[in-house]
Amino acid sequence: MAMEYRTSCRAYMVWNYRQEIEDLNRASEQGWQLVRGGCFHSRFVKNPDLRFRYQMDWRNVEDMGRYVETFREQGWEYINSTFNGWHYFRKFYDPALKEEDYEIVTDRESLLAMRRRWSRMLLALGAAVLVYTAVCGVRAVRTPNLPWLLQILLLLAVCVFLLRGGWLMRDPDAGPRGGRGLLRAYFLTLLLGWAAVLVLLHLRPHFVTNSQTEELTEPYVNERWMDFEVYYPDHYYLDLDLSADAPFTFSIVNDAGETVYTVTGTEIHEEHIRLWLGRRWYWFSSSCSGAFELNVRLD
Amino acid sequence: MKKSEPMSESYYYILLCLAKGANHGYGIMQMTKALSQGDVVIGSGTMYGATDNMMKKGWIREIRSDGPGLERRRLYQLTDEGREALRTEIARLRRMLDNAKEV
Repeated sequence: MAMEYRTSCRAYMVWNYRQEIEDLNRASEQGWQLVRGGCFHSRFVKNPDLRFRYQMDWRNVEDMGRYVETFREQGWEYINSTFNGWHYFRKFYDPALKEEDYEIVTDRESLLAMRRRWSRMLLALGAAVLVYTAVCGVRAVRTPNLPWLLQILLLLAVCVFLLRGGWLMRDPDAGPRGGRGLLRAYFLTLLLGWAAVLVLLHLRPHFVTNSQTEELTEPYVNERWMDFEVYYPDHYYLDLDLSADAPFTFSIVNDAGETVYTVTGTEIHEEHIRLWLGRRWYWFSSSCSGAFELNVRLD
Repeated sequence: MKKSEPMSESYYYILLCLAKGANHGYGIMQMTKALSQGDVVIGSGTMYGATDNMMKKGWIREIRSDGPGLERRRLYQLTDEGREALRTEIARLRRMLDNAKEV
Protein backbone atom coordinates (compact mmCIF):
# COMPACT_ATOMS: atom_id res chain seq x y z
CA MET A 1 0.00 0.00 0.00
CA ALA A 2 1.37 3.41 -0.94
CA MET A 3 2.40 5.61 1.94
CA GLU A 4 0.49 8.82 2.35
CA TYR A 5 2.61 11.94 2.87
CA ARG A 6 1.82 15.55 3.58
CA THR A 7 3.90 18.69 3.92
CA SER A 8 3.14 21.39 6.44
CA CYS A 9 4.39 24.89 5.70
CA ARG A 10 3.69 26.19 9.17
CA ALA A 11 6.46 28.55 10.32
CA TYR A 12 7.42 28.95 13.97
CA MET A 13 9.51 31.56 15.65
CA VAL A 14 12.30 30.43 17.93
CA TRP A 15 10.45 31.63 21.03
CA ASN A 16 7.52 29.45 19.96
CA TYR A 17 9.40 26.17 19.68
CA ARG A 18 7.35 24.64 22.53
CA GLN A 19 4.28 25.30 20.41
CA GLU A 20 5.89 23.40 17.53
CA ILE A 21 6.57 20.43 19.83
CA GLU A 22 2.94 20.45 20.96
CA ASP A 23 1.75 20.58 17.35
CA LEU A 24 4.02 17.64 16.42
CA ASN A 25 2.63 15.62 19.33
CA ARG A 26 -0.92 16.47 18.31
CA ALA A 27 -0.20 15.51 14.69
CA SER A 28 1.19 12.16 15.91
CA GLU A 29 -2.00 11.53 17.88
CA GLN A 30 -3.92 12.16 14.65
CA GLY A 31 -1.77 9.61 12.82
CA TRP A 32 0.68 11.97 11.11
CA GLN A 33 4.27 11.08 12.01
CA LEU A 34 7.10 13.52 11.39
CA VAL A 35 9.56 12.37 8.74
CA ARG A 36 11.58 15.55 8.45
CA GLY A 37 11.29 18.70 10.53
CA GLY A 38 12.18 22.12 9.21
CA CYS A 39 12.04 25.82 9.93
CA PHE A 40 9.60 26.59 7.17
CA HIS A 41 8.12 23.25 6.25
CA SER A 42 7.88 19.77 7.74
CA ARG A 43 7.08 16.45 6.12
CA PHE A 44 4.77 13.85 7.65
CA VAL A 45 3.77 10.31 6.82
CA LYS A 46 0.38 8.84 7.69
CA ASN A 47 0.59 5.99 10.19
CA PRO A 48 -2.27 5.86 12.70
CA ASP A 49 -0.79 2.74 14.35
CA LEU A 50 2.09 4.67 15.90
CA ARG A 51 2.18 7.41 18.47
CA PHE A 52 5.25 9.42 19.40
CA ARG A 53 6.30 12.22 21.67
CA TYR A 54 8.60 14.74 20.00
CA GLN A 55 11.33 16.99 21.28
CA MET A 56 13.46 19.70 19.73
CA ASP A 57 16.89 20.67 20.90
CA TRP A 58 18.92 23.65 19.77
CA ARG A 59 22.67 23.58 20.07
CA ASN A 60 25.88 23.60 18.13
CA VAL A 61 26.85 19.93 18.20
CA GLU A 62 30.53 19.18 17.83
CA ASP A 63 30.29 15.41 18.22
CA MET A 64 27.14 14.23 16.48
CA GLY A 65 27.83 10.56 17.28
CA ARG A 66 28.02 11.20 21.03
CA TYR A 67 25.03 13.54 20.84
CA VAL A 68 22.74 11.02 19.11
CA GLU A 69 23.98 8.23 21.39
CA THR A 70 23.19 10.27 24.51
CA PHE A 71 19.61 10.62 23.31
CA ARG A 72 19.35 7.03 22.10
CA GLU A 73 20.30 5.79 25.55
CA GLN A 74 17.07 7.31 26.87
CA GLY A 75 14.98 5.93 24.04
CA TRP A 76 15.02 8.96 21.77
CA GLU A 77 15.27 8.42 18.03
CA TYR A 78 17.07 11.10 16.07
CA ILE A 79 15.02 12.39 13.11
CA ASN A 80 16.99 15.21 11.51
CA SER A 81 18.66 18.57 12.04
CA THR A 82 18.01 21.90 10.39
CA PHE A 83 20.53 24.32 8.92
CA ASN A 84 20.18 26.65 11.92
CA GLY A 85 20.96 24.07 14.60
CA TRP A 86 17.60 22.59 15.61
CA HIS A 87 17.56 18.84 16.15
CA TYR A 88 14.38 16.77 16.09
CA PHE A 89 13.90 13.63 18.20
CA ARG A 90 11.02 11.26 18.86
CA LYS A 91 10.20 8.58 21.37
CA PHE A 92 7.39 6.06 21.50
CA TYR A 93 4.49 7.34 23.55
CA ASP A 94 4.02 5.51 26.83
CA PRO A 95 0.74 6.30 28.62
CA ALA A 96 2.38 5.29 31.92
CA LEU A 97 4.81 8.21 31.69
CA LYS A 98 4.05 11.75 32.73
CA GLU A 99 4.57 14.61 30.27
CA GLU A 100 7.60 15.86 32.22
CA ASP A 101 9.24 12.46 31.72
CA TYR A 102 9.64 13.42 28.06
CA GLU A 103 11.63 16.55 28.82
CA ILE A 104 15.16 16.56 27.41
CA VAL A 105 16.34 19.78 29.02
CA THR A 106 15.71 19.25 32.69
CA ASP A 107 17.80 21.96 34.28
CA ARG A 108 17.20 25.67 34.29
CA GLU A 109 20.85 26.46 33.52
CA SER A 110 20.73 24.68 30.14
CA LEU A 111 17.42 26.27 29.30
CA LEU A 112 18.73 29.70 30.23
CA ALA A 113 21.94 29.12 28.27
CA MET A 114 19.96 28.17 25.18
CA ARG A 115 17.65 31.15 25.50
CA ARG A 116 20.58 33.48 26.12
CA ARG A 117 22.31 32.26 22.95
CA TRP A 118 19.17 32.89 20.91
CA SER A 119 18.55 36.21 22.62
CA ARG A 120 22.06 37.43 21.81
CA MET A 121 21.72 36.30 18.22
CA LEU A 122 18.33 37.96 17.72
CA LEU A 123 19.37 41.18 19.44
CA ALA A 124 22.57 41.35 17.38
CA LEU A 125 20.63 40.71 14.18
CA GLY A 126 18.01 43.29 15.18
CA ALA A 127 20.75 45.83 15.91
CA ALA A 128 22.40 45.13 12.53
CA VAL A 129 19.08 45.64 10.72
CA LEU A 130 18.55 48.81 12.76
CA VAL A 131 21.92 50.20 11.62
CA TYR A 132 21.09 49.33 8.01
CA THR A 133 17.68 51.00 8.46
CA ALA A 134 19.41 54.14 9.78
CA VAL A 135 21.71 54.20 6.74
CA CYS A 136 18.69 53.82 4.46
CA GLY A 137 16.94 56.51 6.51
CA VAL A 138 19.74 58.99 5.86
CA ARG A 139 19.47 58.29 2.14
CA ALA A 140 15.68 58.62 2.29
CA VAL A 141 15.93 62.00 4.01
CA ARG A 142 18.34 63.26 1.36
CA THR A 143 16.43 61.88 -1.58
CA PRO A 144 12.97 60.92 -0.37
CA ASN A 145 10.81 58.75 -2.57
CA LEU A 146 7.96 56.32 -2.03
CA PRO A 147 9.78 52.96 -2.50
CA TRP A 148 12.54 53.96 -0.08
CA LEU A 149 10.13 55.22 2.56
CA LEU A 150 8.09 52.03 2.28
CA GLN A 151 11.26 49.96 2.54
CA ILE A 152 12.26 51.80 5.73
CA LEU A 153 8.88 51.05 7.28
CA LEU A 154 9.33 47.37 6.41
CA LEU A 155 12.87 47.32 7.82
CA LEU A 156 11.59 48.92 11.03
CA ALA A 157 8.95 46.21 11.27
CA VAL A 158 11.71 43.57 10.94
CA CYS A 159 13.76 45.37 13.62
CA VAL A 160 10.86 45.43 16.07
CA PHE A 161 10.22 41.75 15.36
CA LEU A 162 13.84 40.69 15.96
CA LEU A 163 14.41 42.89 18.99
CA ARG A 164 11.13 41.83 20.57
CA GLY A 165 12.04 38.19 19.95
CA GLY A 166 15.49 38.73 21.47
CA TRP A 167 13.92 40.39 24.48
CA LEU A 168 11.37 37.59 24.93
CA MET A 169 14.11 34.96 24.83
CA ARG A 170 15.80 36.59 27.82
CA ASP A 171 12.90 35.53 29.98
CA PRO A 172 12.95 31.75 30.56
CA ASP A 173 9.27 31.68 31.36
CA ALA A 174 8.13 33.78 28.44
CA GLY A 175 6.54 31.96 25.60
CA PRO A 176 3.95 33.85 23.66
CA ARG A 177 1.57 31.16 22.62
CA GLY A 178 -1.04 31.30 19.96
CA GLY A 179 -0.92 34.43 17.89
CA ARG A 180 -0.09 32.29 14.87
CA GLY A 181 -2.65 34.26 12.84
CA LEU A 182 -0.86 37.45 13.77
CA LEU A 183 2.48 35.96 12.73
CA ARG A 184 1.05 34.88 9.40
CA ALA A 185 -0.43 38.36 8.88
CA TYR A 186 2.95 39.89 9.75
CA PHE A 187 4.85 37.79 7.21
CA LEU A 188 2.17 38.35 4.59
CA THR A 189 2.41 42.12 5.16
CA LEU A 190 6.21 41.98 4.80
CA LEU A 191 5.94 39.90 1.65
CA LEU A 192 3.34 42.18 0.08
CA GLY A 193 5.27 45.24 1.24
CA TRP A 194 8.47 44.17 -0.47
CA ALA A 195 6.54 43.11 -3.56
CA ALA A 196 5.08 46.64 -3.60
CA VAL A 197 8.60 48.11 -3.27
CA LEU A 198 9.75 46.07 -6.27
CA VAL A 199 6.72 47.09 -8.34
CA LEU A 200 7.15 50.77 -7.43
CA LEU A 201 10.85 50.64 -8.31
CA HIS A 202 10.07 48.94 -11.60
CA LEU A 203 7.44 51.53 -12.51
CA ARG A 204 9.72 54.51 -11.94
CA PRO A 205 11.07 56.19 -15.07
CA HIS A 206 14.75 55.43 -14.94
CA PHE A 207 16.96 56.36 -17.83
CA VAL A 208 20.14 58.11 -18.95
CA THR A 209 20.36 60.02 -22.21
CA ASN A 210 23.48 61.38 -23.89
CA SER A 211 23.36 63.69 -26.88
CA GLN A 212 25.79 66.00 -28.59
CA THR A 213 26.00 68.03 -31.81
CA GLU A 214 28.90 69.37 -33.87
CA GLU A 215 26.80 72.20 -35.26
CA LEU A 216 23.08 72.83 -35.82
CA THR A 217 21.70 73.30 -39.33
CA GLU A 218 18.95 75.36 -37.75
CA PRO A 219 18.33 76.33 -34.12
CA TYR A 220 16.20 74.12 -31.89
CA VAL A 221 13.10 75.88 -30.62
CA ASN A 222 11.21 73.94 -27.97
CA GLU A 223 12.35 70.71 -29.61
CA ARG A 224 10.36 67.84 -28.03
CA TRP A 225 12.21 64.62 -27.26
CA MET A 226 12.28 61.73 -24.81
CA ASP A 227 8.64 61.17 -23.85
CA PHE A 228 8.08 59.24 -20.65
CA GLU A 229 5.19 58.32 -18.38
CA VAL A 230 5.07 58.75 -14.62
CA TYR A 231 2.83 56.07 -13.11
CA TYR A 232 2.57 57.42 -9.59
CA PRO A 233 3.15 60.85 -8.03
CA ASP A 234 6.42 61.04 -6.16
CA HIS A 235 9.73 62.84 -5.93
CA TYR A 236 11.96 62.08 -8.91
CA TYR A 237 15.58 63.08 -9.31
CA LEU A 238 17.26 64.71 -12.27
CA ASP A 239 20.99 64.91 -13.03
CA LEU A 240 21.99 67.43 -15.70
CA ASP A 241 25.36 67.76 -17.33
CA LEU A 242 25.36 70.41 -20.07
CA SER A 243 28.03 72.20 -22.08
CA ALA A 244 26.84 74.45 -24.91
CA ASP A 245 28.40 77.06 -27.22
CA ALA A 246 25.28 79.24 -26.91
CA PRO A 247 22.65 79.54 -24.16
CA PHE A 248 20.73 76.27 -23.97
CA THR A 249 17.29 75.91 -22.44
CA PHE A 250 16.31 72.51 -21.05
CA SER A 251 12.74 71.98 -19.86
CA ILE A 252 10.43 69.21 -18.73
CA VAL A 253 6.87 69.68 -19.95
CA ASN A 254 3.77 67.65 -19.14
CA ASP A 255 0.84 66.68 -21.35
CA ALA A 256 -1.20 69.61 -19.94
CA GLY A 257 1.38 71.92 -21.49
CA GLU A 258 2.80 72.96 -18.11
CA THR A 259 6.55 73.37 -17.73
CA VAL A 260 7.50 71.58 -14.53
CA TYR A 261 11.19 72.37 -14.76
CA THR A 262 13.32 74.67 -16.87
CA VAL A 263 16.89 75.87 -16.83
CA THR A 264 19.03 77.98 -19.19
CA GLY A 265 22.78 78.23 -19.42
CA THR A 266 25.91 77.20 -21.25
CA GLU A 267 27.47 75.17 -18.43
CA ILE A 268 25.15 73.30 -16.07
CA HIS A 269 26.33 70.47 -13.85
CA GLU A 270 23.63 69.64 -11.34
CA GLU A 271 22.85 66.46 -9.48
CA HIS A 272 19.75 65.27 -7.61
CA ILE A 273 17.46 68.06 -8.70
CA ARG A 274 14.30 67.12 -6.87
CA LEU A 275 11.09 67.23 -8.92
CA TRP A 276 7.59 66.42 -7.78
CA LEU A 277 5.93 64.74 -10.75
CA GLY A 278 2.26 63.80 -10.87
CA ARG A 279 0.81 60.89 -12.75
CA ARG A 280 1.12 62.11 -16.36
CA TRP A 281 3.03 61.97 -19.59
CA TYR A 282 6.12 64.19 -19.78
CA TRP A 283 8.80 65.01 -22.28
CA PHE A 284 12.02 66.94 -22.46
CA SER A 285 12.12 70.14 -24.45
CA SER A 286 15.24 71.95 -25.66
CA SER A 287 16.00 75.30 -27.26
CA CYS A 288 19.47 75.94 -28.55
CA SER A 289 21.35 77.70 -31.33
CA GLY A 290 24.85 76.23 -31.12
CA ALA A 291 26.72 72.99 -30.61
CA PHE A 292 26.12 71.26 -27.29
CA GLU A 293 26.74 68.17 -25.24
CA LEU A 294 23.94 67.11 -22.90
CA ASN A 295 23.70 64.21 -20.45
CA VAL A 296 20.44 63.73 -18.60
CA ARG A 297 19.68 61.15 -15.96
CA LEU A 298 16.24 60.73 -14.43
CA ASP A 299 15.45 58.39 -11.58
CA MET B 1 36.53 26.90 39.15
CA LYS B 2 36.40 29.47 41.93
CA LYS B 3 35.79 27.96 45.36
CA SER B 4 32.71 30.04 45.95
CA GLU B 5 31.13 29.32 42.57
CA PRO B 6 28.25 26.90 43.08
CA MET B 7 27.95 23.93 40.78
CA SER B 8 24.65 23.20 39.07
CA GLU B 9 22.65 20.23 40.33
CA SER B 10 23.22 18.28 37.11
CA TYR B 11 26.97 18.84 37.16
CA TYR B 12 27.12 17.82 40.79
CA TYR B 13 25.21 14.57 40.31
CA ILE B 14 27.10 13.64 37.15
CA LEU B 15 30.42 14.02 38.96
CA LEU B 16 29.06 12.20 41.97
CA CYS B 17 27.92 9.28 39.82
CA LEU B 18 31.39 9.02 38.33
CA ALA B 19 33.20 9.17 41.67
CA LYS B 20 33.31 5.39 42.05
CA GLY B 21 34.15 4.59 38.47
CA ALA B 22 33.43 5.23 34.80
CA ASN B 23 29.84 5.07 33.65
CA HIS B 24 27.83 5.64 30.49
CA GLY B 25 25.24 8.38 30.01
CA TYR B 26 22.21 6.25 30.70
CA GLY B 27 23.86 4.77 33.79
CA ILE B 28 24.52 8.27 35.12
CA MET B 29 20.92 9.27 34.50
CA GLN B 30 19.57 6.18 36.29
CA MET B 31 22.00 6.53 39.19
CA THR B 32 21.15 10.21 39.61
CA LYS B 33 17.46 9.37 39.79
CA ALA B 34 18.12 6.66 42.37
CA LEU B 35 20.50 8.77 44.49
CA SER B 36 18.14 11.73 44.57
CA GLN B 37 15.11 9.47 45.04
CA GLY B 38 13.60 10.83 41.86
CA ASP B 39 14.07 14.48 42.74
CA VAL B 40 16.76 15.07 40.13
CA VAL B 41 16.19 13.94 36.57
CA ILE B 42 18.81 14.49 33.90
CA GLY B 43 17.30 14.66 30.42
CA SER B 44 19.29 13.80 27.32
CA GLY B 45 19.80 17.43 26.29
CA THR B 46 21.01 18.40 29.74
CA MET B 47 23.24 15.32 29.85
CA TYR B 48 24.91 16.08 26.52
CA GLY B 49 25.39 19.78 27.33
CA ALA B 50 26.77 19.06 30.80
CA THR B 51 29.19 16.31 29.71
CA ASP B 52 30.31 18.46 26.77
CA ASN B 53 31.09 21.39 29.08
CA MET B 54 32.75 19.22 31.70
CA MET B 55 34.98 17.60 29.07
CA LYS B 56 36.00 21.09 27.93
CA LYS B 57 36.76 22.01 31.54
CA GLY B 58 38.82 18.83 31.83
CA TRP B 59 36.68 17.42 34.66
CA ILE B 60 35.72 14.25 32.81
CA ARG B 61 37.04 12.34 29.82
CA GLU B 62 35.46 9.96 27.37
CA ILE B 63 36.71 6.40 27.18
CA ARG B 64 35.54 3.28 25.34
CA SER B 65 34.22 0.30 27.20
CA ASP B 66 36.09 -2.95 26.66
CA GLY B 67 33.71 -5.12 28.68
CA PRO B 68 31.91 -8.05 27.01
CA GLY B 69 28.81 -6.92 25.15
CA LEU B 70 29.65 -3.27 25.70
CA GLU B 71 32.21 -2.91 22.90
CA ARG B 72 32.77 0.64 21.78
CA ARG B 73 30.21 2.02 24.21
CA ARG B 74 31.09 5.50 25.41
CA LEU B 75 31.88 5.85 29.07
CA TYR B 76 32.70 8.95 31.06
CA GLN B 77 35.50 8.94 33.58
CA LEU B 78 36.35 11.47 36.26
CA THR B 79 39.72 13.22 35.92
CA ASP B 80 41.81 14.51 38.80
CA GLU B 81 40.53 18.03 38.11
CA GLY B 82 36.95 16.73 38.16
CA ARG B 83 37.53 14.93 41.44
CA GLU B 84 38.94 18.12 42.91
CA ALA B 85 35.96 20.13 41.65
CA LEU B 86 33.61 17.61 43.25
CA ARG B 87 35.51 17.75 46.56
CA THR B 88 35.34 21.54 46.54
CA GLU B 89 31.61 21.46 45.89
CA ILE B 90 30.98 18.91 48.65
CA ALA B 91 33.00 21.07 51.06
CA ARG B 92 30.97 24.11 50.03
CA LEU B 93 27.69 22.27 50.57
CA ARG B 94 28.91 20.93 53.92
CA ARG B 95 29.91 24.42 55.02
CA MET B 96 26.48 25.73 54.08
CA LEU B 97 24.82 22.94 56.01
CA ASP B 98 27.03 23.62 59.05
CA ASN B 99 26.10 27.29 58.83
CA ALA B 100 22.45 26.35 58.80
CA LYS B 101 22.95 24.20 61.90
CA GLU B 102 24.57 27.10 63.72
CA VAL B 103 21.55 29.33 63.22
